[in-house]
Amino acid sequence: MDNRLTPEQQNAVIEDALHTYPLASMPRDITATVMARIQAVPAPRPFRFTRNDFVIALVLSLSTAAIWFSIQNFPPLLLAQLRVQGILFYQDLIVNARWLVPAIAFGLSALLAAMTIPYLKQQLMK
Amino acid sequence: MAETEPFLIQRAQKGDHEAFAALVTEHQRYVYNLALRVLNNEEEALDLTQETFVRAWTALPNFRGQSQFRTWLYRIVTNLCYNRLPNLRRSLNDLGDDVISEIPETDNAFGNPAYGLESRELRSHLHEAINKLDENHRLLISLRYQNELSYAEIATTLNLPLGTVKTGLFRAKAQLRLALETYQESSWTIA
Repeated sequence: MDNRLTPEQQNAVIEDALHTYPLASMPRDITATVMARIQAVPAPRPFRFTRNDFVIALVLSLSTAAIWFSIQNFPPLLLAQLRVQGILFYQDLIVNARWLVPAIAFGLSALLAAMTIPYLKQQLMK
Repeated sequence: MAETEPFLIQRAQKGDHEAFAALVTEHQRYVYNLALRVLNNEEEALDLTQETFVRAWTALPNFRGQSQFRTWLYRIVTNLCYNRLPNLRRSLNDLGDDVISEIPETDNAFGNPAYGLESRELRSHLHEAINKLDENHRLLISLRYQNELSYAEIATTLNLPLGTVKTGLFRAKAQLRLALETYQESSWTIA
């Protein structure tokens, strides 16, 4: 006699198997190992807005405001002269030192790439 | 008297090692089980479990309690699994969400004494079949049935749409149904 399960019974059997799928037992307690590893890690500190952060923010915002205020109050003649000097400097740069901008860009890229080396080395050592 | 978990978390966030050790002891088995079901390697799973708790310690100040602590831990576990199995993330995303919107959950068939001895064989055969599923399906099954997360919690933990989670579980069950039919077919042929 064919006593195979009906689709409903199959569903029920599968559901049962899923509910009784056993949790794996730990080969050993890892609490001591974890605690030993976190001894080396500094205790976590919640984020706090310190006095130093406040001072830095204040200095930066005051400097920005002072620069903006000074520029607004420059005499128009001085502003025009500054603009002319800026254009002349830019022209001089692109005529006599075309290499400078790409050199700075490549230099910065190389510096940033080099800064990742210690981290990558650390990961490789792991 | 045992301290409540929120209190232990609060103390651990202030740097209390003893409280954190209690949390490790409480959750290690579930974390290890999840890692083992995904990685299928005891040593790797044990290593990943340790790594999970070390990361949890450093990230503990960022835990704000919006989710349960265990769900937060499972998120760390799955992120670490993604690092070790680069294809896992893609295979989960590829599940799509076009199969089903609601998964019916049936009653326990083995409550019926008619199944008797055969039920144990079937059950162990299906447990083997679960072990042979793809890692993405094993991860979903483990989160749903062993770690007892809801579909929504699984979706949040894995950062997947709810539909994808349901589809993944539906497909896992379809594979188990296939394994069950093959098993029944072979035992019927022998009989």
